[in-house]
Amino acid sequence: MSDMTTQDIQSVIVPPPADSLVLEAKKLSFFYGTHQALHGVDLPVKRNAITALIGPSGCGKSTLLRILNRIYDLYPGQRAEGEILLDGENILSPKVDVTALRARIGMVFQKPTPFPMSIYDNVAFGVRLHASKSSAEMDEIVEESLRRAALWDEVKDKLHKSGLGLSGGQQQRLCVARGIAVNPEILLLDEPASALDPISTAKLEDTLEELKRDYTIVIVTHNLQQAARLSDYTGFMFLGKMIEFGPTADLFVTPKVAKTGEYIGGRFG
Amino acid sequence: MSVTRPAVSTDQTPVRRDVVDPIFRYVAFFAATLLLAVLGGLIVALLIGGWPALAKFGPSFFFSTTWDPVREVFGAAGPIVGTVVSSFLALAMALPIALGIAIFLTQFCPRAIAQPIAVMTELLAGIPSIVYGMWGLFVFAPWFAKHIQTPLSALGGIFAGVPNGANIFTASVILAVMILPYMAAVFRELFRSIPPQVREAAFGMGATPFEAVTRVLVPYVQKGLVGAVMLGFGRALGETMAVTFIIGNSHAFPTSLFSSSSTLASTIANEFGEASGMHASALIALGLVLFLITFAVLAVARWLLSTQRY
Amino acid sequence: MIANPGRAARRKLISGLFTGACMLATGVALVALLLILWSLLTQGLSGINLDIITKDTSAGGLRNAIVGSVMMCLVAMVFSVVVGILAGTWLAEIGGDTRYGHTVRFLNDVLLSAPSILVGVFVTTILVNPFGGASGWAGAVALAILATPVVTRTTEDILNLQPSSLREASMALGASQFVTVRRVIWKAAGAGLLTGGLLGFARISGETAPLLHTAGDTQFMHEPWWDIPGMMSNQNASLPVMMYNFALSPFEDANKLAWAGAVLLAFAVLGINVLGRWLAREKKM
Repeated sequence: MSDMTTQDIQSVIVPPPADSLVLEAKKLSFFYGTHQALHGVDLPVKRNAITALIGPSGCGKSTLLRILNRIYDLYPGQRAEGEILLDGENILSPKVDVTALRARIGMVFQKPTPFPMSIYDNVAFGVRLHASKSSAEMDEIVEESLRRAALWDEVKDKLHKSGLGLSGGQQQRLCVARGIAVNPEILLLDEPASALDPISTAKLEDTLEELKRDYTIVIVTHNLQQAARLSDYTGFMFLGKMIEFGPTADLFVTPKVAKTGEYIGGRFG
Repeated sequence: MSVTRPAVSTDQTPVRRDVVDPIFRYVAFFAATLLLAVLGGLIVALLIGGWPALAKFGPSFFFSTTWDPVREVFGAAGPIVGTVVSSFLALAMALPIALGIAIFLTQFCPRAIAQPIAVMTELLAGIPSIVYGMWGLFVFAPWFAKHIQTPLSALGGIFAGVPNGANIFTASVILAVMILPYMAAVFRELFRSIPPQVREAAFGMGATPFEAVTRVLVPYVQKGLVGAVMLGFGRALGETMAVTFIIGNSHAFPTSLFSSSSTLASTIANEFGEASGMHASALIALGLVLFLITFAVLAVARWLLSTQRY
Repeated sequence: MIANPGRAARRKLISGLFTGACMLATGVALVALLLILWSLLTQGLSGINLDIITKDTSAGGLRNAIVGSVMMCLVAMVFSVVVGILAGTWLAEIGGDTRYGHTVRFLNDVLLSAPSILVGVFVTTILVNPFGGASGWAGAVALAILATPVVTRTTEDILNLQPSSLREASMALGASQFVTVRRVIWKAAGAGLLTGGLLGFARISGETAPLLHTAGDTQFMHEPWWDIPGMMSNQNASLPVMMYNFALSPFEDANKLAWAGAVLLAFAVLGINVLGRWLAREKKM
């Protein structure tokens, strides 16, 4: 079936202006053992913008995200080829200090992952790893991060209660606060709303809208409306390839590749 | 009940179900109750058997260090302290090593190597304690006496003692070796129960492996870890054969790391066969003390492990 | 971006040392355990020969001890498997969620890890002292008390793994609860139940403390050998008790026999454990 191959599809990439890029993945391939999950993927990421990755499940969008802060390093047998430039440096190089890299590129996961400690300590967690701060400075960072994640008003009276006691939506915003507390350049979000109810999802989207002014955000989502609402640029992936990448408005309204149109039109996926 | 479906229902089934099912339930209930009865009987037997000694010596049974079967004067302070000290020492030695093994196997070691090591530790947890005891008696104690205790005993103090390798310290080492595979296996299960995304989140914050383990993963299974430690402690407290061989079987209050000593279990093992009258009662009272200590430790351990979701 | 290079280097160093320490711990444990296996093999294997199974302990063999161990364990297991499977079934299928069920489960767990010497003391006071001395029956009862909680626990765990759709399907066909449990649940859990029995068997076959004062020890095989009730009614030798007595003996020949017994016992227990695990794996639990 021609549907199941990407041989005859010509990718179309419309990158943002070159001087606005913060991170650029080029010819990225990824292997789970012997299984190849990504085939020469390009991904230009614009500074202070939201980039969305969409595509049917199994298309490699989460895999791509997990390469960007090298979280796949945790699993022997997983391996990436190609390059990802961050400030002109290839972050796939073995010489890169991954702990420092992950402080620059934070990540929020599909399921909320509060650590078994207080709300305050959750937010302070990353900061304490990477820097020594006075308690006054730390209080300020924690409050600021929680405010930005739109969680402060809900938790300010119980900062020293366990983070595990929050609702799912609050937990996810706690994870966002924890991620931005270390002041990363880029924040990666892997289907952050998939476990949340509609109200929590709306709150989370408002939060991301706010954060865009100071951070670069890459979000993987299976929710097309969410991608259309939130993002400035969108990449459509299929069977481990970047089929089309461009400004969100263009990609959703006038897709340049037929496959993209089919997916957005709901004909498969 | 009054509805009849003549074609399919045999006339036997309803009758049999009404009779057989209750019988089945009662028999199963009886089996479960039998377990309680055994435990209850054990406690009652220890109470009745130990009562004469407890009544005669009163509180001094727990505080006196005199254990004299000839004059029939019995105080359990020596064995109680020997039991608690040897178990604590064993735990102090086994805990860091068992934690290290579990962390290494679940965090740092490739699966291909981790699996055989894990299976090996679990199998070694099943080796009978008397085998560990024999190893201690024939191999470890002589080696220890010659190469470690003899040079150190010149220093005196906590190293004072007859350099024959039969003392509270060597007994602790053997106990530690025994509970080590067991604790490592339980620890490993706990670490494996942590959802992978929690680990990814910790590393995703830029934590080093050390930071991820100590600040996120260990706290995540904290209660279970404490429970597993208590289980290991409970084992060490009640272990009999491995200790009896090597602790030196002296009822004196241990005064140094290298003192000969005895435990509650080893004293019973050694003397119960020839004991009668007040001596036997005192030994059963030791059993009661041992039961109470281990019951408390195990109850807390089970409670902690059951509250840890895994 | 908040990281600074000096701090990063220190963190990396600490983490490296930590990883090294974990590797070292694993290495230390493996070395210790290999040393034990090594002594077992070097000291014990040389003592293994045909005499072990053809002669009694009085003549430098282990025949009576092996037979005694096997007999007492088998008798204990008959009791433990029946009571343990029934009790485990009660916990899993009938009354496990009641308050009484929780009590039974908790106290079973306590019994599971209770010091085995206490079981020896208990059986001595109720079965040995009132009935004129140690016997194989008393030893078997002590072992049964130790194996039953193991069987109960594994049975409950394994029955809980059976999908509830099995029960519903059987009940929907009009089967009674007894038929459902016997023909469907126990059958589906078959290998797992066997594993529970084997784990219980492995546990008691190495136990020394509960036998020390209950079963006694002998130097000879009971005659005639087929008089099993007679054998069990008298003092009965067992491998672990023989090892205990012979290891403490001043004579080297006796020590050697104890080592040979240790090898037999260790590998028998290992073998039973491996078999149990293998069966459990077959069933994909």
